[in-house]
Amino acid sequence: MGYLEEMAKYQKTEKQKSFSANFLEPEQVEDYEFWDAIEIGKETEVPIKFEVKAEDMMAYAEGVPDDNPVFYDEEYAKKCGHDGLVAHPLFGTQVAFYVLTKGHGSWIRTPGARNPGQIIEWYDPIRVGDVLTIKQQGYDKWIKRGKYYMRYLNETYDQNGTLKSRGYGTLILPRTKADVLRFLKGEHALQA
Amino acid sequence: MAQELTFESVDCGDVLPEVKQQNSQELTWKHAVASLDYNPVHTNPEWCKTAQVFGLPVPVMHGNQTMSLMCKVITDWAYPVGGRMKRLEVKLIKPVPVGSICTYGGAVTEKHPIGKGQDFVTIDVWAKNQDGEQVGVGTAQVLLPK
Repeated sequence: MGYLEEMAKYQKTEKQKSFSANFLEPEQVEDYEFWDAIEIGKETEVPIKFEVKAEDMMAYAEGVPDDNPVFYDEEYAKKCGHDGLVAHPLFGTQVAFYVLTKGHGSWIRTPGARNPGQIIEWYDPIRVGDVLTIKQQGYDKWIKRGKYYMRYLNETYDQNGTLKSRGYGTLILPRTKADVLRFLKGEHALQA
Repeated sequence: MAQELTFESVDCGDVLPEVKQQNSQELTWKHAVASLDYNPVHTNPEWCKTAQVFGLPVPVMHGNQTMSLMCKVITDWAYPVGGRMKRLEVKLIKPVPVGSICTYGGAVTEKHPIGKGQDFVTIDVWAKNQDGEQVGVGTAQVLLPK
């Protein structure tokens, strides 16, 4: 059984079942933005929205795995002082990968990318029924010790325009489209 | 302990209970499904043999999986009393090959008595591999009830 079939066994939610798990499809790369072309300061409101269902929130916690009942039992969460079912702090990862599939922001999916760290600030809890939108901005890019870094800023808003979270993510990326295409073929294509 | 935890009950230097996990490819596949991050560096053992993104011929855990488990130290401690994370900054220092056994922990370093609903503590958080090497370090700010 291949790795995609292995993972398909664990897909439970509607979003998991409809999302393409093959990040090595060459056609996807045509829609990516590469380090060379990243426009710093450009802000994009990602057109795909994420409607939060309880199954999405529970599925993220299961995948950590984190069995804290505040993530699965709404009544228990309320008894603990929360206003409903709680989203795991890193639930925004699922939201980002669901909506950032093309163009500005597609960097997070790039084969060959490395994640050296992140900053996340939470302003308002994510709740079941929220319809989330991400505003994405290329924040900085630099070269250090032969590696090609970039930092992005993701702001997540709900349907009322309430800022839910702000995340600064840093990535080390393959520099060019040619480098990414080499990675698709299983070749190492980072300069350092 | 969880029932008694309040902003007032916490002192600088308090150590949070650790979380330990034996990782596996199956767990990392499950995390890929949960996060929708199917990057082959985490999911495709055959591809990793040659692509070696981190100079290793094997898949590595997601950085956000490591961060999520660092968060678990805090959510186990604070969320049962209505606490909530306010900010997290993490530096991922070393790749974590699937199959690693990692320990995650934290300790309170600061108290910020801002006002009801806004009081928070700062916690140094860390992740170590089975050799005792730090693979991730960071700081978290956590809102706690009075």
